[in-house]
Amino acid sequence: MVSVRDVHKSFGRKPVLRGVDLEVRRGETIVVLGGSGSGKSVLLKHVNGLLQPDRGEVEVLGCAVSRLGDIDLVELRRRVSYIFQSGALFDSLTVGENVAFSLMEGDGRDRAAVAARVGELLARVGLAGSEGLWPADLSGGMRKRVAIARGLALRPEVILYDEPTAGLDPLTGLAISRLIHEVRDETGATSVVVTHDLTLARELGGRIAFLDAGRFAFVGDLQDAAASPGAVGEFVRAGGVHAGT
Amino acid sequence: MLILDRLYDLTWRRVRELGAVAILARAVVARMVTPPLAFGEVVRQIEVMGLRSTNLAAVIALFTGMVLALQTAHTLALFGAKLFIGEVVAFSLVRELGPVLTSLMVGGRVGAGITAELGSMTVSEQVDALRSLGADPIRKLVVPRMWALLIGLPLLVVLANATGIFGGMLIASWELDLSPGLYFSRATRLLTYGDYFSGLAKSVFFAFAIGLIASYNGLQARGGADGVGTATTNTVVAIAITVLTLDFFLTKLFLVL
Repeated sequence: MVSVRDVHKSFGRKPVLRGVDLEVRRGETIVVLGGSGSGKSVLLKHVNGLLQPDRGEVEVLGCAVSRLGDIDLVELRRRVSYIFQSGALFDSLTVGENVAFSLMEGDGRDRAAVAARVGELLARVGLAGSEGLWPADLSGGMRKRVAIARGLALRPEVILYDEPTAGLDPLTGLAISRLIHEVRDETGATSVVVTHDLTLARELGGRIAFLDAGRFAFVGDLQDAAASPGAVGEFVRAGGVHAGT
Repeated sequence: MLILDRLYDLTWRRVRELGAVAILARAVVARMVTPPLAFGEVVRQIEVMGLRSTNLAAVIALFTGMVLALQTAHTLALFGAKLFIGEVVAFSLVRELGPVLTSLMVGGRVGAGITAELGSMTVSEQVDALRSLGADPIRKLVVPRMWALLIGLPLLVVLANATGIFGGMLIASWELDLSPGLYFSRATRLLTYGDYFSGLAKSVFFAFAIGLIASYNGLQARGGADGVGTATTNTVVAIAITVLTLDFFLTKLFLVL
C-alpha cells in the first residue's frame, strides 16, 4: 500500500533522511514517532509527492511517486489525503469552501451535492453548521477538525496526518485522537500518523516506527518500544509509556 | 580562498535562481495559454491590482508631467523655443517616463502585495495544501495575477500618459501663457502610433517581469513572517532593477525596429 525504500533526502548540506525503509499494509494505521526535527514531516511529504527523494523509492497504491507525471500525480493525490500540522486552511475561503475545495476541483460539479457532502463532513467532525465561518475565526482544534473534514472529502484510500494534536490542549488533543480513530474504523483507510504525542500513539494502537538520526531505529509495538534500550526506549518512557502499562 | 569560495557560492546561487525563474516563466506561459482560466479571479485581481493603483499612478504622472514641463520650459526659454514644450513633455512621457515610472511605482506596490500574499500562503503550507488537494498552484495563484498585470499595467500607463500630459498643460498655461489648445495640438502632432506602441509594449514586458519576480519570491519564501518580509523586500529591489535594466534594452530594441 505504502512502501518507502532506502529514501535519502538532504536540504543543502544537511542530511535529514539517510536510508529510510517502511512498509505500511492496506488498512493499517502506523504511527511515526521521533523528536522535533527528526524528519518525520519530510518523510510524510515524500509519500504524496510534495517532496522528491534524492535517492530511493516511494511507492503508494502501486505507483512509484517520483516517476509520476503531473497528471498522474494529481490523480494519486486525490486518493491520498494529507492533513497538515497547521491545518493549512485557505484563509481567503470560508470553512465550507475549504471543505468543498477538492470536490469543486473535480469533474461534474453538482453544487447541491457538494453542499450536502460538505454538511455531512462537517457534521462528522462535530462542526455542523459552520460552513460560513472563516478560518481566522476558528480555534486550533476546530481548524484541525476542518482540515480532517477537507481531507476526507474525496474518500481517500490513504490518509497522512502530520502532527494532528500538536499545539492543542490535552482534552482537545484527545478528542482529535478519537476522531482519527473513528475515521479509521469508518473508512478503513490506511493511515500514517506523524507525531511526538504518545497519548495519540497509545489511542491509535497498532505499530509504531521511531525515526532517529534519519533512519528508523525501531518498528513494532509500543510496549516493545518502551522495553527497548537506546533512544526509542528513552523517548517512549519519557512520554509516560512503560513496558507492561 | 574564503572570498573566492563565497564569490563562487553567490554566483552559483544566482545562476540557479535565474534557472528557477526561467522554469517558472515557462510553466506560467504554458498555463496562461491553455484552459481552464479562472476568469472571475482575473477580474478580481484587476480590481485589486489595477483599479486600486489608479490614484497612485495618476498622482505620480501628474507631478512628473508638471516637473518635466517646468524644467523643460526653463531650458527651452534659453533658446527661445518655449513652444516646443508640448512635444518634449508628450514624447518623454509616452515613450519613457509613463511606462517606466508607472511600472516602478505600481510594480513595487503590486509586486510587494503578490509576494506577501503568496509568501504567507507558502510558509503556512497553504500552497502545499493546494498541491496535496490535486490543484496546481501556478494555475490557481500565479496565472490570474499575471493576466491581471498584463491587462492592468498598460491601462494604467495610458492613464499616466494622459495625466502627465495634462500636468504639463497646467504648467504651460500658468508659467508660459500657452493656450491649452495650442499645447495639446503641439503635444500630439508629432506622436506616431509607433511611439504609443513602444511605451505600451514596454509596459507589457514590465508587467510580465513584475508578476514573475513577485510570484517566484512568494513561492520561495521560507520561515515565518521574517521570511515573508525578506522575500517582499527582495521583490521590490529586484523589480526596480529589472524594470530599469529591461527599459534600456527595450529602448534600444524599439529604436532599431
